[in-house]
Amino acid sequence: MPLVWPLLLSSALFGIGVYGVLARRNAVLALMGVELMLNAANLNLVAFDVWFRDVLVSGQVFTLFIIALAAAEIGLGLAIVLRLFRTYGHIDVDRLGGDPPPPAGGSEIPRNAGASWDLPTVKEREPQ
Amino acid sequence: MIGLVLVVGLPLLAALVGAAMTDRVRVALVAVGGAAITWIVTVVVAVPRLGEAAPVGGSWGHAWGNLTAPALSFALRADSMSAALLLLAATVALLVQIYSVAYLAEDERYRAYAAIVSLFAASMAAVVVADDLFVLLIGWEMMGVCSYLLIAHYSERADARDGAAKAFLMTRTADIGLLIAIIVLGQATDSYRISDILDATAAGKLSSTTITVTALLILLAAVGKSAQVPLHTWLPDAMPGPAPVSALIHSATMVAAGVYLVARMHPLFAESRTATIAVGLIAVVTMLIAAAFALAQDDLKRVLAWSTVSQLAYMFAALSVGSVVAAISHLIAHGAFKALLFLAAGAVAQAVGSTAFADMGGLRRAMPWTFWTTTLGLAALVGLVPLSGFFTKDAIIGAAYDAGQSGVGPAPVWLDQLIVAAALVTAALTAAYATRAWLLVFAGERRGSAEAYEAPALMRWPMVALTVATVFLGVAVLEPGWLGGAEAEPVHAWIAVTSTVILVVVAGLTWLLGRTGDPATRLGPLRPVLAREFGIDAAYDRIAVRPTVRAADLVLRTDSDVVDAYVRGASSGAMTASRLLRWAQNHNVQTYVTVAVLGVALAAVLAGVSAG
Amino acid sequence: MSTVEVLFWLLSVLAIGSGVLVVTTDHLVHAALWLVVTLGSLAGCYLLLTAEFVAWVQVLIYVGAVVVLLLFALMLTRAPTGADSATSTRNRPVALVAGVATTAVLGVLLVDGFRGERIDVSDEPHGAAQPLGDAIFRHWVLGFEVVSVVLLTALVGAIVLSRRSPDEPVEESATARSGPPEGSG
Repeated sequence: MPLVWPLLLSSALFGIGVYGVLARRNAVLALMGVELMLNAANLNLVAFDVWFRDVLVSGQVFTLFIIALAAAEIGLGLAIVLRLFRTYGHIDVDRLGGDPPPPAGGSEIPRNAGASWDLPTVKEREPQ
Repeated sequence: MIGLVLVVGLPLLAALVGAAMTDRVRVALVAVGGAAITWIVTVVVAVPRLGEAAPVGGSWGHAWGNLTAPALSFALRADSMSAALLLLAATVALLVQIYSVAYLAEDERYRAYAAIVSLFAASMAAVVVADDLFVLLIGWEMMGVCSYLLIAHYSERADARDGAAKAFLMTRTADIGLLIAIIVLGQATDSYRISDILDATAAGKLSSTTITVTALLILLAAVGKSAQVPLHTWLPDAMPGPAPVSALIHSATMVAAGVYLVARMHPLFAESRTATIAVGLIAVVTMLIAAAFALAQDDLKRVLAWSTVSQLAYMFAALSVGSVVAAISHLIAHGAFKALLFLAAGAVAQAVGSTAFADMGGLRRAMPWTFWTTTLGLAALVGLVPLSGFFTKDAIIGAAYDAGQSGVGPAPVWLDQLIVAAALVTAALTAAYATRAWLLVFAGERRGSAEAYEAPALMRWPMVALTVATVFLGVAVLEPGWLGGAEAEPVHAWIAVTSTVILVVVAGLTWLLGRTGDPATRLGPLRPVLAREFGIDAAYDRIAVRPTVRAADLVLRTDSDVVDAYVRGASSGAMTASRLLRWAQNHNVQTYVTVAVLGVALAAVLAGVSAG
Repeated sequence: MSTVEVLFWLLSVLAIGSGVLVVTTDHLVHAALWLVVTLGSLAGCYLLLTAEFVAWVQVLIYVGAVVVLLLFALMLTRAPTGADSATSTRNRPVALVAGVATTAVLGVLLVDGFRGERIDVSDEPHGAAQPLGDAIFRHWVLGFEVVSVVLLTALVGAIVLSRRSPDEPVEESATARSGPPEGSG
């Protein structure tokens, strides 16, 4: 088959993956876009390797390495997503960032207790 | 020279010192005392100058000369005309200050009032003794400012504020004429001093165009200041000011300054036939319509205001036929009896609580002093023999008649004859409105509810003093040449007889009509037309005031919509730019990656294009 | 066209179609399942290109492990099992432009460079297991070891990141954007 076909397929998948990363609101869905991009690169490598008939089979070896790295990456990435979910309560990429909401049911410690500029209350003033 | 400086400087000093006092008694002492000392100095300085005496004067400040060309200097000069006016101004100022102590006894703003009245006295003195035209202009404008402040003395009243603004704006607009005339004369004769300019005129050094133009411009300023047609509408609306203010400023001194200016610059007017005709026609129209308006008014002070306008027109008429002596004599006499009438109006107003005829009536018994002084004042106004008004009016009509008979004098013969006729008709109208006012105030049944009482002593004695002056000034002006003019026959028999007959007939007719109510109701449909003053004021409002207000609105809106739009645009531009720049830090990963991806694509394209 | 080419066309269409569905569908779980289809069709493409070992590794790792991990993540983050109302951000038009631009640049570049070339698939297959294993353990063994270390690091990192800190409440906060899971789950 013409070499160009798998190359074009990989370009198209790459573009679809880019769209997915940039346009999806849920972080897990954005990671799916990343997976599409990686697969597009894999297809490119395999196509070139088969066309070139490399003696060292370097394209397919790289593909295997990329698959392994993708697995590692997705594991870590989803661990991070989980962490975000526990901190913010959601994984909407538009709303992530800034101060996380306070933990529910925590102790009510006033925020500036003990600051040096706090004025003493009446009963703490010196007796006349 | 020292005396002249004192005459100007002492009231100024009194104003400053009085403004610094806090205790009411001290303010009154400074005001009255200052006016009294000024009066003594004025008498010492001015009396020797009356009659044929040579003028005296001096100047300082030629060193300023290098700043302007021609040179400005603080030059003062007093001849017999100035001396007469100084005496009038100082006397009326003193009497008004005394009167005001009682009239404004419960007024909280007395201190400011007294200081401004003293300041006004200084300005009037400056105008009268000025030899440098700019000194005159400064005094002229200061009088305008004092008039504005004093008309608006009762500043909580909207009609006082509006009247003050109207007076100031109309006279100030007219003063542009004076300013331009001063500059033109200065350039033409290379000096701003009046004596130099009049010498140059006499020597024929000025072109006739220059003379006519400057004379007309000076006439414009005089017309504004003296409330002649077409700038006559401000004076009746200045009546919401306190009565002593009306007496001092709007009858005896400030409005007379216009007459003084034309009289002082008379050699200019004498050389220009156009200007003379202008003066004469303005005078004729004004004297007739002002007297007619006075017939239809419902307010005592407004009647007196229109009367003032009409009498000032008499003085302008005298000037146009060439008799400065007659004009100034009438000015002095009018100053005395009109001030008296306004002070009396103040006493009546204080007694009954308003100045409307509807609240007066039958005050003859309740206010005897006021009644007798007012009667004598009104008699002088209508020209009853042997009061001062008789002699001076006779002098004016006589001068016009003589000029018409002999053809001598700056005015054409037809103008002389027109003036004689108009003066006689106005005398009739004057008799009518004066009698009507007298009847409505003092005769008949008491209308209105307030309990009328006689004026306190401090208000009565100035009125008495002015009445004495009114009676005896008549004799004084008989003295020929007291103003340094040529000897003239003091009384024309036929004029005296005619005017007295007219006076008696008209006054009697008015009295008869007055037995059955307000004589003005006999005017019928003419009355509302006259009361509206021919709608001239409304026309001015449409022609001049509203377009100006709309132009001011336009400027305001231009500033806020057009100019400010740039300012607001700068701020909104900055806000928009900051909003756009904020995207670089909006902690949204997708934004960052988008920019990176697009950047890489663009870079790849550029690399491909530039390499290929 | 030969059989291989026809099959490749079909698989391409399938891959692109399901890829588009992955990135546009509103059902989050369906997106993961469409990803399975995409990855599977890519494995088919590898087979057509005679890269057998890569194809089976793709199915094993990607479809078997990665997608399962993604589904677990969706579950743990309380993703709605029905249609979600707002799965795409405001970035959509710009993202579309970026995607199309990327595809265009790559496509033009590749077509321009490799226009007339053909892959010869009628000879012996090029990606058999034995020569591939030979190549990995002989020539690429260093990279192989490094990838192993990376996998170990990722494993340790994932454990560390997903541990709960001692004072963290066990119950997760209910402030997730999605509501409670719907019944159709």
